[in-house]
Amino acid sequence: MRGELLTPEQVIERLRDSLGDAILSHEMKEYTMGVRKKKAYREIWIEIDRSAFRKAVEEIFKLDYPHLHFIMGEDGGGDSIKMIYGFALYHGFPWKQVSIVLKFDLPKSELVLPTITDLMPGAETNEREIREMLGIEFEGLKNKRHLFLPDDWPEGKYPWRRDEYGVEDMVKHTHKSIKEIRRGE
Amino acid sequence: MAKTQYYIPVGPIHPALKEPIRVEAEVEGEKIVKVDVKRGFAHRGIEYMGMKRNAIQTLYLSERICGICSISHPYAFVIGSEKALGIEAPPRAQYIRPIIAELERIHSHILWLGVVAHEMGFDSLLFWTWKGREKVLDLLELLTGNRINYSVFMIGGVRRDIKESHIKAIKETIDFYRIFTEEMKDVFLSDPVYKARTRGVAQLSKEMALKLNVCGPVARAAGLRMDVRQDNPYDAYADIGVRAVVPQDIVGEARGDAYDITLVRLYEIEQSLDIIEFCIDNMPEGKIMAIPNYVVLLSKIKKTVGEGIGMHEAPRGEVVHYFKYDGTRDGPAVWKVVAPSYNNINSWAPLLLGAEVADIPIVVAYIDPCMCCNDRVAVVRDSDGRTLDYSLIRRKAVEKTMKIKKELGVIE
Repeated sequence: MRGELLTPEQVIERLRDSLGDAILSHEMKEYTMGVRKKKAYREIWIEIDRSAFRKAVEEIFKLDYPHLHFIMGEDGGGDSIKMIYGFALYHGFPWKQVSIVLKFDLPKSELVLPTITDLMPGAETNEREIREMLGIEFEGLKNKRHLFLPDDWPEGKYPWRRDEYGVEDMVKHTHKSIKEIRRGE
Repeated sequence: MAKTQYYIPVGPIHPALKEPIRVEAEVEGEKIVKVDVKRGFAHRGIEYMGMKRNAIQTLYLSERICGICSISHPYAFVIGSEKALGIEAPPRAQYIRPIIAELERIHSHILWLGVVAHEMGFDSLLFWTWKGREKVLDLLELLTGNRINYSVFMIGGVRRDIKESHIKAIKETIDFYRIFTEEMKDVFLSDPVYKARTRGVAQLSKEMALKLNVCGPVARAAGLRMDVRQDNPYDAYADIGVRAVVPQDIVGEARGDAYDITLVRLYEIEQSLDIIEFCIDNMPEGKIMAIPNYVVLLSKIKKTVGEGIGMHEAPRGEVVHYFKYDGTRDGPAVWKVVAPSYNNINSWAPLLLGAEVADIPIVVAYIDPCMCCNDRVAVVRDSDGRTLDYSLIRRKAVEKTMKIKKELGVIE
């Protein structure tokens, strides 16, 4: 049922074959774990071009049906949002699980991404969360109702954005200390 | 024509649910034909808060994400932070952490067994299992000072050591649970009523489990050998060589229903006991913190530019924390938490479709949902209606811990 077990190097090789120049940079992170029997596992962190995103995901699904760790977007306050997709290949094999982290920049002028729910229906939860928290549209996502935020949440407000669409003006005391509140900050 | 479809809302506040969530079902007679799950009733924006605080504050904030698996989030947090910062916890700490985590798994699994017994109307079983669970909670209070929210983990180590006299209490507890687990296996797995009520209910195929991205015992009951402690081991788990508990190894086949998940959870309690035993027998000597000074730790975090993923196998499944330290703040610039129920709730809608109304509680309970209970405001009043203040409650809690220590014969 499952394809052959590839090493992280071979996984990168495969991705490089199909994506070519769209891989802007890649990094192999090695972590040594254990006390008495030390052993290492590796993670792959790749920076890709935005246009190659869908192809990269399809390529990952060709290698092995992955487990989706998370989807996250980082708004640094600039003109783009950095999207981060974490997949895990070869789960179920001791020490052999390879986490692949795909990263790419998405300009704020065009916050649209293709959905991956056709490949993995379970990703609907993640995409709906990103959609309401960062305001990114997913093309092909069927259920666009709010996930965590209430149904009457104001439009154009996204909690994880660090620009004029953020929620700084809606937040009162969630993250301030009593001293800061007393000082009137 | 008469109306045949009826709309049944379950929740957000409902006797079958311990935490707020809403299941909206359309039924035809007894059969569910359409279903929608609404979450977010306990959402408090904890990631937003974490991105405004320093790393140590966020570590203890992460502990408040969930009341039951209150060590799982800090575990993923410290593993991820250590990976991002490039520090390693001392060997002794790497052996203490799994002990606390496995004790938590035992109490969480027994809690689930009680809840599922309650959902099918078997309340004497609920009280019996929960009575047995008290012993592990007492042990956790003895080791850490609290029944839940232990606050013992720190980036690069643990805050409390396990002493010689604690080990005697741990061994006694292990002996108790060896017998108690055998009894539970007998009651749950060979009881005809339990079998009739769970066999074939909430059945999830291997393929469905993959597609719905479920994790933890839910995935393992469906036959997927998925366990972070096995796939990407960390701490003492790397020395032990943990293997995922799957039904096909125990009874020959995996059907992925509520009965199989009971099987997985019961055998995982035994696995946890083995892990704890290994850890206390092979515990290395030495210090318990890599960087004991918090000011030094925070200034190191402030200078660090790095990312990391922290993963831990919580009782309910894989907890993933993604971090980014950007070198300007002493806390995470980006923090993303994915709890197991986030993925496991995906299975409700497909499983409920075509099921019967009476199956709703079992389908809802079988993944052991945990709505990341962050609502932390509690006002406690005594019988005269007076509000009890923090210092009084704390004094009472310390008195109780002292009492347990005396009962279990622990000398500091």
